[in-house]
Amino acid sequence: MTATEPTPRATPSVPTATATSAAAATLTPTATRRPSTFRQYRILLGKDLRREFRTREMLTSMGIYAVLVLIVFGTALMQASAGFDVLPVAGGLIWALIVFTSLLGLNRSFSHEKEEAALEGIMLVPLDRSVIFLAKASANVLFLLVVEIITLPLFYFLFLSGSALAATFGLAIVPLLVGTIGIAGVGTLLATITVNTRGQDVLLAVLFVPLVFPLLYACVAATSVALLGGEDMMATFGPAVALAAAYDVIMILVSWLLYDFIISA
Amino acid sequence: MTEVVEKTSAPVAAAAAADSALEVRALSKAFGTRKALDSLSFELPTGAFLAICGANGAGKTTLLRILATLARPSSGSVSVLGCDIKEQPDEVRARIGFISHRSMLYPDLTAEENLLLAARLYGVVEPQTRVSELLAAVELTARRYDLARSFSRGMTQRLAIARALIHDPQLVLLDEPYTGLDPHASEIFDALLATQRASRSFVLVSHDLRKGFELASHLLLLNRGKLELFAPSAELDFASFSQLYYQTVGG
Repeated sequence: MTATEPTPRATPSVPTATATSAAAATLTPTATRRPSTFRQYRILLGKDLRREFRTREMLTSMGIYAVLVLIVFGTALMQASAGFDVLPVAGGLIWALIVFTSLLGLNRSFSHEKEEAALEGIMLVPLDRSVIFLAKASANVLFLLVVEIITLPLFYFLFLSGSALAATFGLAIVPLLVGTIGIAGVGTLLATITVNTRGQDVLLAVLFVPLVFPLLYACVAATSVALLGGEDMMATFGPAVALAAAYDVIMILVSWLLYDFIISA
Repeated sequence: MTEVVEKTSAPVAAAAAADSALEVRALSKAFGTRKALDSLSFELPTGAFLAICGANGAGKTTLLRILATLARPSSGSVSVLGCDIKEQPDEVRARIGFISHRSMLYPDLTAEENLLLAARLYGVVEPQTRVSELLAAVELTARRYDLARSFSRGMTQRLAIARALIHDPQLVLLDEPYTGLDPHASEIFDALLATQRASRSFVLVSHDLRKGFELASHLLLLNRGKLELFAPSAELDFASFSQLYYQTVGG
């Protein structure tokens, strides 16, 4: 295999142990025991939470962006007549707010993984790579829920305080939760795909909105009827929530199955 | 759900007993129509130190990324310490450490948090002890609670070295590890290599011919994805190796 005629070689000046610091010389063998998949999930989730609560990078940017969207909504609705009731369109406005805000957050969710190729460091660990997806998606769900907890009361006070909310308005929590899980799941998968592309912000939005359309449609319907109430409210609410939940299960399952292939590519 | 693999498990024992650190057979990697690696075959004995040299675009980093399971070969087979990288990627990952010119660290975590994260993911039995030991080895104990973002390039690279050794890998892959290191950091790294090379195998990618030659027990020269030379370094002197390198890559 050698492509040259070898000639004798002088003794190389390889670094020797005499040149080492005392500390380096004390490096001892260590044992490892592969953690359970659930433990690895908790470690990765804990890393994302610790990092976010230290930098508040995603929460701050999503929170500010959500408030700005509310201001835009307010400006647009001010043009309507003084007696304009926002309630019939509130479901749609709430989900527009969530989708815009989540796009910003999802775009940022992998930026710190890319900065020093930290994601590659995680990929070098013997773990089921779908765990990376689950941990990241879980973190994104939590961050989105925090932003929703802050902005939705604000939405109520700005636009719905004068409206007659139905007694069933509390049920809106169900589509909010189911929709947030779906958005975070699909968004995490797409953010993984787009993280190393040029124009990742635009690409994520272009892929994300059509893909979450069925979820969005179901969640808007369920949220709207929960706020408006009515005798046949459950006839719309039940199927809409079921559609959103089925979407979540299918998309998260597909993401789980495909993630190893996607992240490796 | 609990899945426990001890270091003393059967695959590990097989790896420990493996005669070869690396067995590469007809390895090719193509990006579209461009062949980055073209039918490479070589076998590196356990405990060896391989230096991979070649010009930019020769396929050095691609080869290293395949060995690290970060890229998939287009064809051919690679066995790392007796484990096939396609069939047993997790077994391979448990045994390798990778030091790249990018640190693979989280800048917004402290030095200690970065190492603890890696130690816990690998399942190091006493993570805190191991982290303290490695921080001492790379002389970063005093900065353990500082964010990695606040580190100089040399300190970041030292922390990356500690991270790569956290799980006591049997094979360490080094991609231009001296990039950005100041003389002191290079000295620390050399010292670590000197103490560790008796107990593990190394693969080094370097543009520094002399450094690679001095460290290596085996030399591998790549040119446009093809193997030009694979030989024990004892069979060569630096002048002839250097001459071959420049004949091959030009310049």
